[in-house]
Amino acid sequence: MSPLALAWRGLTRQPARAILAIVGIAAVGALLFDMLLLSRGLVLSMERILESGEFDIRVASSDALPGMGPKIEGRDALLASLTALPDVERTVALSFGTAVIDDPRSGRRTQISLSANEPRDFGFWTLIDGSTLGETGEDGRRPLLVNRVLMERAGVETGDTLFISGDREGHLGREPLAFRIDGIVDMPFDSRDEASAVTTMGSYFEVLGADDPDEADLLLVTSAPSAGTLAAMAAIEELEPDLHVFSTAQLVARFQATEFSYFRQVAFVLSSITLVFAFLLVSTLLTVSVNQRFGEIAALRALGFSRQRVVLDLLCESGLMVGTGGLLALPLGFGLARWLDEILRAIPGLPEKLHFFVYEPRALTLYCTLMALTGVLAAAYPVILAARLPIARKLRNEVVS
Amino acid sequence: MAALADRLETNHIPSLPTRPMLSRRLLSLSPARLAPLALAIAAVLASAATPADPSSPDVLVSRQLADAEGLDVGSEIRLSASRTGEDAQAFRVAGIYEPVPDPVRLGAQRLEVRLHLPDLLTLRAQPDDPAATERIDSLSVALTGGADADAFARVVSERSPGLVAVPMARISRDDGVFVVLDRFHLAIAIVTVLASTVFLLALMIMRADERREQTGIMRLIGFSRRHVLGEALVEGLFIALAGAIAGVLFAAASQGLINLFFQWYYDTALVFVRVTPEIAWRCVAIAAPAGVLAGFVATWALVRREITALIRR
Repeated sequence: MSPLALAWRGLTRQPARAILAIVGIAAVGALLFDMLLLSRGLVLSMERILESGEFDIRVASSDALPGMGPKIEGRDALLASLTALPDVERTVALSFGTAVIDDPRSGRRTQISLSANEPRDFGFWTLIDGSTLGETGEDGRRPLLVNRVLMERAGVETGDTLFISGDREGHLGREPLAFRIDGIVDMPFDSRDEASAVTTMGSYFEVLGADDPDEADLLLVTSAPSAGTLAAMAAIEELEPDLHVFSTAQLVARFQATEFSYFRQVAFVLSSITLVFAFLLVSTLLTVSVNQRFGEIAALRALGFSRQRVVLDLLCESGLMVGTGGLLALPLGFGLARWLDEILRAIPGLPEKLHFFVYEPRALTLYCTLMALTGVLAAAYPVILAARLPIARKLRNEVVS
Repeated sequence: MAALADRLETNHIPSLPTRPMLSRRLLSLSPARLAPLALAIAAVLASAATPADPSSPDVLVSRQLADAEGLDVGSEIRLSASRTGEDAQAFRVAGIYEPVPDPVRLGAQRLEVRLHLPDLLTLRAQPDDPAATERIDSLSVALTGGADADAFARVVSERSPGLVAVPMARISRDDGVFVVLDRFHLAIAIVTVLASTVFLLALMIMRADERREQTGIMRLIGFSRRHVLGEALVEGLFIALAGAIAGVLFAAASQGLINLFFQWYYDTALVFVRVTPEIAWRCVAIAAPAGVLAGFVATWALVRREITALIRR
């Protein structure tokens, strides 16, 4: 009989114990798998969001996160000079802030996120319905794109009018400005309940009640395919050494080092705890099992089973338990990950597209490796016990008792 | 702003803004919201060795900024609201403070300067916008004892168009970051407890199986099933209580190390782990019944068997 078959028989001889052991390993394995998904989940998710658009470079006025530092001055000249670089395919300037609308249903003022991009045809949004920003109409309505939340909240469709006011004290009391909804867009960084809209730079500053100050919060740049990201970054840095240039990878690395670091730490700590737990579980179960089967093991040795064969049998038993539990842990882990992801995505203000638990093959490989290692290490002590078993004394004890 | 302040009888208490972690709004908050300080820091020209002019206005700097720029109490710094550093004004470091730990900004360098409000407004003054010196981002209001915060917030919102007044209790009550994190940790704890219970049940079954003969002999000499079960329950209770207490003591002992590590790693005074009496009681309240139940289930399966089956080899 092969070691695997013998191990299978050993497990199925006491099904309740085996099932409980496998279920316990599955639960612990699911948690371990989820923590491995969490360890890089935010980074992968943010990377995917940033890469979903066509822009691979961000330009800001300081090394603060884009939009958190001073404004970029001389927007129009910068747009022209950066776009003229041979290594750059496209440059878009962004400004973002907030405004208020009068909710037609409740009559209350509702704050919305209002942003602007120049040139108007490209932005960090994806058009779902309608068209991109048009020109101000003869009726004076300014162009506007809205997201689905704002569309539903205000009860508007493409072509409808929305009245928007500034929400700062200096701009209150002014007449709301009329906007024409040109299209519905999907914005990658919008949170679940965030009502947001995009307009042109001129209209944006009109809402704020100010003349266009020729500034922007952020520049988005697409590198020329022939040049690549690094070459474009170098060209921009040479042209404008006072500005701070980030690639998507650098931005993601920044997030990983700061905003996402807490979850990385939590994932590391919980992974370690679950590994220790799995080790203890398997080790204890196997040790108790071996202790109860000393007589059986001694008899097998007396029949001619070599020490190596007994060790192999125990390793196979450990492998069967850990392997079966580990396999069961995967669907359990995916289900648990969805639940935990839903819990964490309720954090207010998070982009709706951001996920905490993201699958990557690396996580599965690491999980399998860690579980296999745990199975082997957990079997170490019971294997030592079985290998050093004094056969004659054990057999005598069995007969006498 | 002054009229509003008078009307509200405000007290200038630093507010704890709710900062969504990663929203575009956060990423896009104007300097007016977050970083008059950051702006100023962008152009700090610290002169740690030069004593400040005593007539310069006082500022407080964060410990992290003091360490980064080599500042001491009495140092002179020059702050500017312009990214090019023009129109910088001199200030004297009156004190170094530890920033209130903000879990939402974990990992971020807390390079902060606190100015008197009039000084900050003067720093941000713009010649073409006289109203700039009258503009602030938020007010924190401390009500007199017994006042209804919700009612006050409603009145303020109704009487002051454009103002949004929110009671602090509501900010932290329902859907704050910490409430969500609390749910997350609870979910992890539930899964861990379930896995532990399964583990415990497996061990208890093995333990009960080891005592099969002993149980059979006890039954033979006259011990009732109830007696055997009772013994198993009491033993399970002792083991569960001992394990729970050991776990709580281990957690209490290790919380210091955990806090030490993470406070060093993130350079913060935030407390990450705190074992409170409530948490300890909750752990014991969950562990004890789980242990007792596991022992009961394992022993019950055994005592149901016939005595001869128990003692048969």
